[in-house]
Amino acid sequence: MVEFTLPKNSKVTKGKSWNPPAKDAEPDRWREYRLYRYDPDTGENPRVDTYWVDMNDCGPMVLDALIWIKNNIDATLTFRRSCREGVCGSCSMNVAGTNTLACTMHADDAKGAIAVYPLPHMPVVKDLVPDMTQFYAQHRAIEPWLKTDSPTPQKEWRQSREDREKLDGLYECILCACCSTACPSYWWNGDRYLGLAVLLQADRWIEDSHDERTGERLDDLEDPFRLYRCHTILNCTKACPKGLEPASAIASLKRKMVERV
Amino acid sequence: MSQDATTQDTPPHNTVMVNGRAYPVTDHAFDVIVVGAGGSGLRAVVGASEAGLRTACITKVFPTRSHTVAAQGGIAAALGNMGPDDWRWHMYDTVKGSDWLGDQDCIEYLCRNAPEAVYELEHWGVPFSRNDDGTILQRAFGGMTTEFGKGPVKRTCAAADRTGHAMLHTMYGQALRQSAEFFIEYFAIDLIMDDEGRCRGVIALNMSDGSIHRFRGHQTILATGGYGRAYFSCTSAHICTGDGNGMVLRAGLPLQDMEFVQFHPTGVYGAGVLITEGARGEGGFLRNSEGEKFMERYEPSAKDLASRDVVSRAITIEIREGRGHGPDKDYMHLHLDHLDPDMLAEKLPGITDLARIFGGVDLCKEPVPVIPTCHYNMGGIPTNMHGEVISPRDGDPDAIVPGLMALGEAACVSVHGANRLGSNSLIDLVVFGRAAAKRCAEIVGTDSAIPELPKGAGDEAIARLDRFRYADGSTPTAELRMDMQKTMQRDCAVFRTKDVLQKGIDGIKKVWDAAADIKVTDHSLIWNTDLIETLEFDNLISQSAVTVQGAHAREESRGAHAREDFPTRDDKDWMKHTLSYADYGTHMVKLDFRPVHTFTLSNDIAYIEPKERVY
Amino acid sequence: MATPLKRARGLGAAHAGTETFWRQRVTAIANIPLVIFLILSILCHIGASYAEVKAYLAQPIVAVLMLALIISSAIHIRIGLKEIIDDYVHSEGCKIVAIIATTFFAGIVGIASTLAILKIAIGS
Repeated sequence: MVEFTLPKNSKVTKGKSWNPPAKDAEPDRWREYRLYRYDPDTGENPRVDTYWVDMNDCGPMVLDALIWIKNNIDATLTFRRSCREGVCGSCSMNVAGTNTLACTMHADDAKGAIAVYPLPHMPVVKDLVPDMTQFYAQHRAIEPWLKTDSPTPQKEWRQSREDREKLDGLYECILCACCSTACPSYWWNGDRYLGLAVLLQADRWIEDSHDERTGERLDDLEDPFRLYRCHTILNCTKACPKGLEPASAIASLKRKMVERV
Repeated sequence: MSQDATTQDTPPHNTVMVNGRAYPVTDHAFDVIVVGAGGSGLRAVVGASEAGLRTACITKVFPTRSHTVAAQGGIAAALGNMGPDDWRWHMYDTVKGSDWLGDQDCIEYLCRNAPEAVYELEHWGVPFSRNDDGTILQRAFGGMTTEFGKGPVKRTCAAADRTGHAMLHTMYGQALRQSAEFFIEYFAIDLIMDDEGRCRGVIALNMSDGSIHRFRGHQTILATGGYGRAYFSCTSAHICTGDGNGMVLRAGLPLQDMEFVQFHPTGVYGAGVLITEGARGEGGFLRNSEGEKFMERYEPSAKDLASRDVVSRAITIEIREGRGHGPDKDYMHLHLDHLDPDMLAEKLPGITDLARIFGGVDLCKEPVPVIPTCHYNMGGIPTNMHGEVISPRDGDPDAIVPGLMALGEAACVSVHGANRLGSNSLIDLVVFGRAAAKRCAEIVGTDSAIPELPKGAGDEAIARLDRFRYADGSTPTAELRMDMQKTMQRDCAVFRTKDVLQKGIDGIKKVWDAAADIKVTDHSLIWNTDLIETLEFDNLISQSAVTVQGAHAREESRGAHAREDFPTRDDKDWMKHTLSYADYGTHMVKLDFRPVHTFTLSNDIAYIEPKERVY
Repeated sequence: MATPLKRARGLGAAHAGTETFWRQRVTAIANIPLVIFLILSILCHIGASYAEVKAYLAQPIVAVLMLALIISSAIHIRIGLKEIIDDYVHSEGCKIVAIIATTFFAGIVGIASTLAILKIAIGS
């Protein structure tokens, strides 16, 4: 059955309060962060530690705050980060209740203490680092590369601007998994449901005017689980930090499925 | 993170004991080992796999998180889709952009092969923007001209302003198609060199479980990117720590032309994120606080589309002379607000988002505050045009290091010389990535056995890892890193003088010496980013040392290296590559030099003689 | 010990689901007017006698619409319940039992209701 309660070892306990500011500290100078911590070495239950970030010394983004904490308070805090400008998709996590990229989320956009958790319903490796193996394997499974059979031209394949425009809203996906892991269907059936990001990628190749294996690609998606676990809950569209609409991509896939019946 | 789908976990082959602590070691054998999964690394992986070579790709981040993903403007190739173009013109521009420090045989190779490399990307499905006739859209970029400098040309092929992203994702797909074996979130620690000076492979740490992996192979390719993070303010990702360069220095091999660090004119003020040069290519311009389009004064012909080093210096001078914007008069305005919003939405959607998120401005309505920001390292591991690493010996300045290759920003071929032109980096990645794979196919037989490693290979690297893991000094890595970054930013930036650079040398030496007192708090082997950042710092500090030392030595101004005390180019004494060696024991840097190739690859074009560089 | 790709590919695509998806949409659309008709029918007959209701249902148009509602709802219920089972029930054994049970349930309810309407409409 679906797990509606947390397994025993996942119950989150109250952690440590690291650097509470002095009582007479300047108001609004210190911003409170409550961070999910999990130490795989001890195997103890995860906890939520509290840190205060000096906003006079820290950049405006949530990622800036995490880095500030790691640099100044607790070097053991673990998270992924790379480009810090919202194009690499490394620092996807659950901030103030929403899946997003820590690097493009302004701390000011959240009220009160900012709670930061790993992406929901993913196995946690350590602190804010989830195990993405299954997600990447699902991406691999849709064969994300151009498939053509016609002879390759000497120069480029011609593509009309209209056809190229069909890829807008699809090719920009950064594989951060914010959408997939915001979807209850993916939480419940992540082993068989491909999830939003991967379906969006599938649609990217199906929509590509160069790709000649549309039918095969649709065949491989037509499945009560792979595709049809989408119940248009639309958490995905809300979560996408790039403003893409995975739900529209899935709707487009379903339309094509019906069209060819 | 575990490996890609194709790999099965294998039990460790042996265990190395360091200070009573056991480190299980797993051995792997491949024909080709690629370290890094950015543009050049993936291109090499795809090429080598296609050639039937067993290829491993070791990468510290999932491939699509590599810094290539952030490349915006485009990839240069003389396709001639927008009007007449010729690879020779491209070559001329690149040579001129390099301020004649680039090796012209390699530049010819780059520009000749550029169109084919772009068509290949297109055939793989890179979603290039299109013209009405369905061909790839090309845009103007700084320093790119027709007919050997006559007027601007549209040569830069673009996928909106997400070209790097589109390329990286597409090439990752191609690598999957070839079933290349990925070792994702493995941090390469050191090269494995044998007594004859041959590279035998690489030793890496699996970040997800702390296991040590030794990879041995016929060819090891370093595609580890630049070291922008040596500076305080840079457009580079956090991961750009030049780990391959660090490994090369530790192996006693030289880096080349490290003093040439490109500052991009338009990094968003405060945040450091990049606004592509394509923004100016599409009609954007810079204005100082007096409302003047000042680039017209510096470079009347090319104006805002002069080469990056030129524009960065102009901005720096404007700010210095009090014509900057803002309360501290320390930034310039980049105007795109006069352009058609529909055009911006179609061709520059990404920077519209970046300006909003990081600059807090709507660039359709207001200017973006920008400042020159550390962007690209022309210097790196010296290689020939096949990607083979060069280390002069026995009087041969082009002697190769067998078994070792380098690509991309990590390498110094040198095609960018003293200053890289915008959109020449992406083409560098794929042209030389492909060249290296071809070279591997030539020199590695598909059925030749991969010899066993010498006994104890890599033990030293494990000892170093253990030393850092339990480093119990009093200075956290973050503090040392900040000192290094501030020093580099202050003493080795756009304009340089002997005194300032001497301060830089002393400052970096001090930080490096202080690293004896480094403190690592996290002792875990599972996802220990404290340890990884420390290893990265150890790579950065040696690169900082050779950078500032090289800058101090080079008493001329060339390309991105602008010495106020030596304002002109000196071809008589300095038309040569700097080679720098770092001693990890004494923290001292030794410099040497290597001649620039003053010949071309073929008779299709003659050597382009040095002349004054104006735009 | 299976590779992640093996797990991601699983048993492969069933090459099915579109029919079901489409049928669910069609029955949903059909159900909208039919359910409104049912509600109106009930509202119009509040307080009516058994004989009056029976006479109403025996009218051919009413009977046809009621039959349509029953068939459409039974199919819709069957599909909907299967969706819920697919979502929440993960052990194969439970799942098969649940699917069989819901199929029987929808079938029996559908057949019984159909028979009732037919009996009223055709009379016996």
